Amino acid sequence: MELIFGPSTQKSSKREYDAIIIGAGPAGLTAAIYLARAKLSTLILEKLVPGGLAATTDKIENYPGFPEGIGGEELTSRMEKQAVNFGVDIVLEEVLDVDFLSNPKVIKTSDSEYTGRGIIIATGTSPKSLNVPGEQKFRGKGISYCATCDAPFFQDKEVVVIGCGNSGIQEGIYLKKFAKKITFVEFLPHMTAEKVLQERVRALDNVEFLLNHQVTAFEGEEKLTGVRVKNRETGEEFLIPADGAFVYVGLKPNTDFLKGKIEMDNAGFIKTDEDLKTSIPGVFAAGDVRTTILRQVATAVGDGALAAKLLEEELGG
Amino acid sequence: MGLLKEEDRKYLIDEFSKHIKNPVKIIHFTSESNECMYCKETMEILKEVEELHDLITLYIYNFDTDKDMVEKYGIEMFPATVIEGEKDYGIKFYGIPAGYEFSSLIEDIMDVGEGKPDLKEETVNAVKDINKPVHLKIFVTPSCPYCPIAVRTAHKFAMANENIKSDMIEANEFPELSQRYNVYAVPRVVINEDRYFEGALPENQFLNEILEALKEG
Repeated sequence: MELIFGPSTQKSSKREYDAIIIGAGPAGLTAAIYLARAKLSTLILEKLVPGGLAATTDKIENYPGFPEGIGGEELTSRMEKQAVNFGVDIVLEEVLDVDFLSNPKVIKTSDSEYTGRGIIIATGTSPKSLNVPGEQKFRGKGISYCATCDAPFFQDKEVVVIGCGNSGIQEGIYLKKFAKKITFVEFLPHMTAEKVLQERVRALDNVEFLLNHQVTAFEGEEKLTGVRVKNRETGEEFLIPADGAFVYVGLKPNTDFLKGKIEMDNAGFIKTDEDLKTSIPGVFAAGDVRTTILRQVATAVGDGALAAKLLEEELGG
Repeated sequence: MGLLKEEDRKYLIDEFSKHIKNPVKIIHFTSESNECMYCKETMEILKEVEELHDLITLYIYNFDTDKDMVEKYGIEMFPATVIEGEKDYGIKFYGIPAGYEFSSLIEDIMDVGEGKPDLKEETVNAVKDINKPVHLKIFVTPSCPYCPIAVRTAHKFAMANENIKSDMIEANEFPELSQRYNVYAVPRVVINEDRYFEGALPENQFLNEILEALKEG
């Protein structure tokens, strides 16, 4: 078993920085590496766990340079160490409010207040809920959003995975190491996961696919016992008996704290121009949090580098 | 030897030298029972950690034969690990502190070695006001990135107030217990048996959960 620890993120006594990055996922960490190498004092504020959503991915196989694939946590903790080595401060505090109009810009956190001459928003996304009856009730009682965390509780059990995009299929393949049987449910008539993942999941024993089906409810008494689905073509409704359900139906941006402070699209993703500039001068957005057509570690890393470079220029670096 | 990579060992030696100012006792209870899934591995990890700083000492007891120590520390299962400073704060790990929980172990040792929990002052003051017994059970899996946040907060609370005891429980190793508490997602925090919550909460919200539980009780 691996022994995992991050560079111990300490409280920073420093309050004024050249650049503040919100979010320590791949986009934020990459931006920090570039800014620190440009000799700009750089702070990353992270609400939960450095590494972001990528750190909860069992294996990342499409990030170049790792022909055997690499564990999500291992990849992001390397990025984190690299950032710390170049002098970046990473502080675990949640951002509660921002003032982007003052100069320098002010970031209020759960613990403190910081100022930065430039800001990069790299807060990423969180797994979306389905918002169907029973979802709140059975959360933690059979419904989970983190396969790497909770898979062991479903050893030899029957599980439903909702969503056949990259996350759903990839996490489903991981879950199959534990679960006896997996039923995959997809709203669309086809899977959207990469072809290589589709092939791999179809080759597994005891997996079933219900495409063009919609989840209508989660059912059970004290704990989850089944997932009710509806065939979108025929309208037929039926119950899939299940001890567990893992939900991978897309991502919602972590931008609640920015409402009204910056321009967003209807889904709450931050709008940027091609230089990753937001509606506010001196504020950039990078990675999954912005309006984009692809949300991958590779794109996040590219965004982080670009945003850092352009911010450096703006700060007269 | 050799669970820790050389670069990580160096890093930890450096970090420990910055933080550890007081003696830290790792009091470990093991068993030769076949039922113990990771007793051997747990001991190996602790032996490596002991080597990282002169002020860290590992004491090993046998769960089955060292009854007086088992009783003194209120040990219920094995493997069990207590992190003790100038006194027994009530910080325990049941099961292997590996995967992400290795970071909980490391940070607990730094807190205890520093002699104070890494909490906001206002939180410390509010935690100190708790005058009823609180027992926190934090169910985790080693592969859960959010779990150390819950474990660490609970252990820091235990450090701040002697009425609070707090156990990390590695759910895979104690399936019956996990079942009894209906654990299907981690981290799950059980407060004095009846109340529970899931997820990694900020310290003030975690504290509120405890205060609510005490009101109900």
